[in-house]
Amino acid sequence: MPALTRERDVREAYAAHSGELYGFAVRSLGDSGLAEEAVQETFLRAWKAGERYDPEIGSLRTWLFAILRNVVIDMGRARASRPRVGPEQGIEPSVEPLEQALVAWQVEEAMRRIGDDHRQVLLETHFKARPYAEVAEELGVPEGTIKSRVYYGLKALRVALEEIGYDG
Amino acid sequence: MTADDHRDWRLSLGAYALGDLPPDERAALAAHIEGCPECRAELRELEGVAALLPLADPARIESPPVRPPADLGARIEAQIAAESAKEGRVKRRRRLRFGFGGAVAVAAVAALLAIVVIPIGGESSPAQKVEFASVPNGISIKAILEPHAFGTEIQMYVKGMPSGTLCRVFLRDAAGRTYSAGSFRYRWEEGSEAHLSSGLDLSQAAEIGLHAGGRTFVAPVSPVTALVSGAEIHPA
Repeated sequence: MPALTRERDVREAYAAHSGELYGFAVRSLGDSGLAEEAVQETFLRAWKAGERYDPEIGSLRTWLFAILRNVVIDMGRARASRPRVGPEQGIEPSVEPLEQALVAWQVEEAMRRIGDDHRQVLLETHFKARPYAEVAEELGVPEGTIKSRVYYGLKALRVALEEIGYDG
Repeated sequence: MTADDHRDWRLSLGAYALGDLPPDERAALAAHIEGCPECRAELRELEGVAALLPLADPARIESPPVRPPADLGARIEAQIAAESAKEGRVKRRRRLRFGFGGAVAVAAVAALLAIVVIPIGGESSPAQKVEFASVPNGISIKAILEPHAFGTEIQMYVKGMPSGTLCRVFLRDAAGRTYSAGSFRYRWEEGSEAHLSSGLDLSQAAEIGLHAGGRTFVAPVSPVTALVSGAEIHPA
């Protein structure tokens, strides 16, 4: 049975996916007001096209993200033709192309989902480029532990990425 | 090699994938990987993840995730309820009409695709038309690609598929990376034209592809006029 033809389906879809959709919308539009507008438009379009959703072809999440992606593109076009307004609430708009912004958001979201120990070690060694020995000393663990946390951290990150729909 | 050695090496694969190992350790692990199919396979997976890390912004990782305002769900429901009341009759009529759309089987032929790339509006125009020739009998696939600041705008013109076929469109760059350009369902009732976009710059696009009915059709994209033939269909 196709989903989203009834208002109750939309409510369930919203409960399950609005957080992620909103997170990506903020990431790509750089503005919480525009992000709200984008999520609202996404669910409206999804409801209007609800008959065309086929759960056998892809997940509801994938379908909603595809709609949001088009909404964000449309809003970007509309915005490009309007005078520029400064970003609000200090959220920097994302300047990467949309595909890249989506993957960037997925990696950031996946990083937030992995265990604290793994995230911390990846942040310190990779993003802050600190030597393993230094991080090991600070955390009071052997250097080998840092190495294995990097290993298990990357593996956990891979699983988390799949969970949130990364299909590269 | 003992099992313990293998386990130790394995735990270093993450650091290896990220390029963090000192040269001597890196060389020793490389020698182990050379002779260990299990580590080779695992390294490929880890390298795939490691390659994505530079895209992420550490400040965003460390800041709490954003959440939509509490009343957004209610606002969406209210809007849908209003639209539902307004368009209820229109939607019902449309559904009845869809009932008459019979499906026509796609001829499962076409071993080869010949593609003609025609520049539109002379050489000064950056838009280009890609025509997929020699597709199954009765089917026609064409695309017009236009460069924009946001990426590439794609107009797909598809004819002759069973109504309701899901068509997924993508661009591929020279390195073989795929960029989705979205999807649409082919409907007779709604015309055969779809407007799509991809974040990939047209100048970076090497191929355009359409995945439909379990098959993938791929055509090269070229910045210059070209006559290309014999591109193979990639199996779905």
